[in-house]
Amino acid sequence: MAVLFAPAAKAKVAAIIVFFLVLPYFVSPYFISVVNLIAIAVIGALGLNILTGFTGQISIGHGAFMGVGAYTVGILTTKVGLSYWAALPLAGIMAAMVGAVFGIPSLRLKGLYLAIATLAAQVIIEYTIIHWTGLTNGSAGIVIDAPSVGTMSLADDKNFYYFALLIALAAVVCTVNLFRSRVGRAFMAVRDRDLAAAVMGINLLQYKVMSFGLSAFYAGIAGALMAGYLRVITVENFTVEVSIQYLAMIIIGGLGSVMGSIYGAAFMTLLPIFLRTAADFLGAFLPNVAHFLLSMQTALFGLIIVLFLVFEPEGLAKLWKDIKDYFRLWPFSY
Amino acid sequence: MRFRGFLVVLLCVCLAVTLVATGCGKKEAPTQTTETPKEPVKIGGIFDLTGATADVGVPYAHGAKAYFDYVNSQGGINGREVKLIDIDYAYDKTKAVEVYNKLVKQDKVAAILGWGTGDTEALKQIIATDKIPYISGSYSEGLLDVTVCPYNFLVAASYSDQARAALKWIKDNWQGSGKPKIAFVYNDTPFGKSPIDDGKKYAAENGFEVVADEVVDLKALDATSQVLDMKRKKADFAIIQGTSNLTATVLKDAKKNGLTTKFIGLNWAADEKVVKLAQDAAEGYIGVIPFAFPYDNVPGLTAIKDYLGSKGGKIEDQNQKYVQGWASAMIMLEGVKLAGDEVTGEAIKEGLETLSGFETGGLAGPVTFTADSHRGSEKVRLAEVKNGKFEYLTDWFGYK
Repeated sequence: MAVLFAPAAKAKVAAIIVFFLVLPYFVSPYFISVVNLIAIAVIGALGLNILTGFTGQISIGHGAFMGVGAYTVGILTTKVGLSYWAALPLAGIMAAMVGAVFGIPSLRLKGLYLAIATLAAQVIIEYTIIHWTGLTNGSAGIVIDAPSVGTMSLADDKNFYYFALLIALAAVVCTVNLFRSRVGRAFMAVRDRDLAAAVMGINLLQYKVMSFGLSAFYAGIAGALMAGYLRVITVENFTVEVSIQYLAMIIIGGLGSVMGSIYGAAFMTLLPIFLRTAADFLGAFLPNVAHFLLSMQTALFGLIIVLFLVFEPEGLAKLWKDIKDYFRLWPFSY
Repeated sequence: MRFRGFLVVLLCVCLAVTLVATGCGKKEAPTQTTETPKEPVKIGGIFDLTGATADVGVPYAHGAKAYFDYVNSQGGINGREVKLIDIDYAYDKTKAVEVYNKLVKQDKVAAILGWGTGDTEALKQIIATDKIPYISGSYSEGLLDVTVCPYNFLVAASYSDQARAALKWIKDNWQGSGKPKIAFVYNDTPFGKSPIDDGKKYAAENGFEVVADEVVDLKALDATSQVLDMKRKKADFAIIQGTSNLTATVLKDAKKNGLTTKFIGLNWAADEKVVKLAQDAAEGYIGVIPFAFPYDNVPGLTAIKDYLGSKGGKIEDQNQKYVQGWASAMIMLEGVKLAGDEVTGEAIKEGLETLSGFETGGLAGPVTFTADSHRGSEKVRLAEVKNGKFEYLTDWFGYK
């Protein structure tokens, strides 16, 4: 594990971990429930960033891969009788296999063409889930029991928080280390210039499919966590809008940045809450503005993405780094 | 660079406001134990004001809010004010979870008036754990299993019961020869498919012939191929489960292609908007109506008239979904009233479960809940569009 370098860096990481461990004791339960949703989004966003940010392959099927993970948990726990804990890794593996299959066209397709091919994956998976009623209960969905460790039930937000935190932390550490390995470097070589990568002896098919599989593995785990959190699995939680939302997360957070995935996931989850609070606040003075602001939400989302693409294409991660550099170098900012 | 600085400041402000909004840093004491009888009773509302179903969601939300206002003007419930904390979730299922958590964990509401089928289904497990009585705008049969969702209450006939009632009416009034041929028109969502299996089963048991399944998208602008398929299969009747838009599209295309099929829509497919959208194509269309229209002659509407009059409005400007929101809020607050002074989720649930033949003054069918059944009513009325207006064909009846 090569995450930790200097003692100062070690101290920083330790401080962050301690901060998250004691967090639930200082904040309201609602805040924890929001963090839980962010943690799930972080895992999903990391997965998509591996594929899109690091390997340069676009995917609009990420929501469906999450669905595969969630449904795997649902089917294995209710029909096969496995425990949630046994089903969780299998959900990731199942999603990875499905993801890898839909990644095969990426050898021939690039850019927009690949985007449409993965959109097909989204549609096919959604259709299969709705119409294979014998396995998935169709659009009625699957209800699972709350997973628990001993007497601690994950139905409690605080318990779920620690569980989600653990998985999210593991996902972050794995991703950071991935890009120190041959596989990760190969992904980046493929992103930068696939022809050059092939010349250097990187098997394009193998690594592209592997990237799709790995990305879908994260998505599957995120989907399985979502299933554990809601305890109801319906296809409506894994629609194409979800896929687009994850793409927006990594674009705003920063393509090809691990920390960016975290910032992006947090940003996309918190923005609607912010807009609602602002609308409530303004509504006290200007009743008409509140409603207007609420209906503007989607448009505002779009505007923010455009602004980021124009002014800060490297996302929140770069913005944060700039702020840190500014203070580190102050007052000599040259 | 200056713009970048602005972006940074903007983000910081956003973050600060959001952290305060989510209650970071303050841990709220549980209010349940410290509550004094003078405090207002808080009820949550998850409505769609800006999303895909806003056309029916807005009047529903206004109706519910109006009833809370009305109750407060009458002195509240058991001497306490009732407060509706409502949030627009824009028909977004992932957002519904966050919104629900805010209402329950931050605002500490005792019960919730919800909205869509997808999100109510997705929340049903959490609702059961949190013990939050939940009356939703969805009447899906999937919410009726009290072992799985003991805190979901359906204030009107479930979609399945509505479909069965429509089929029973067809059976009783069938004059043609042979078996009546039935088609089902619906959309591929939990909401759309909810009554289809039960409806088909009932049809098979009662000597119908189900000839076609037509899937039409909620936002469809064209249903020609589905309509032609029904024509080819000579469907005598078609049952529609969808929204106003889907129904209007089907009715218009049916008229265009000269179908003789009689269309019967379940409650979300049957309102004034269908008539407005489909114009003369809606003539002869039959709706399954579990709630009163504002122009009906029932005692329950007097309160709405008086309330709107005091606000300078007119009941003629409101539609049936307004009445539906009003009636749903009425039933919820009846449960709160029966809960007594200790207003908790469990107490409201027990209160609702003692309702027996509760009358909303004709706004909805008489509502009965028991500990084993949260099927509030199975009675509906059928109404046919004549000269651009729904006119009742039947009185309240159930399929049994």
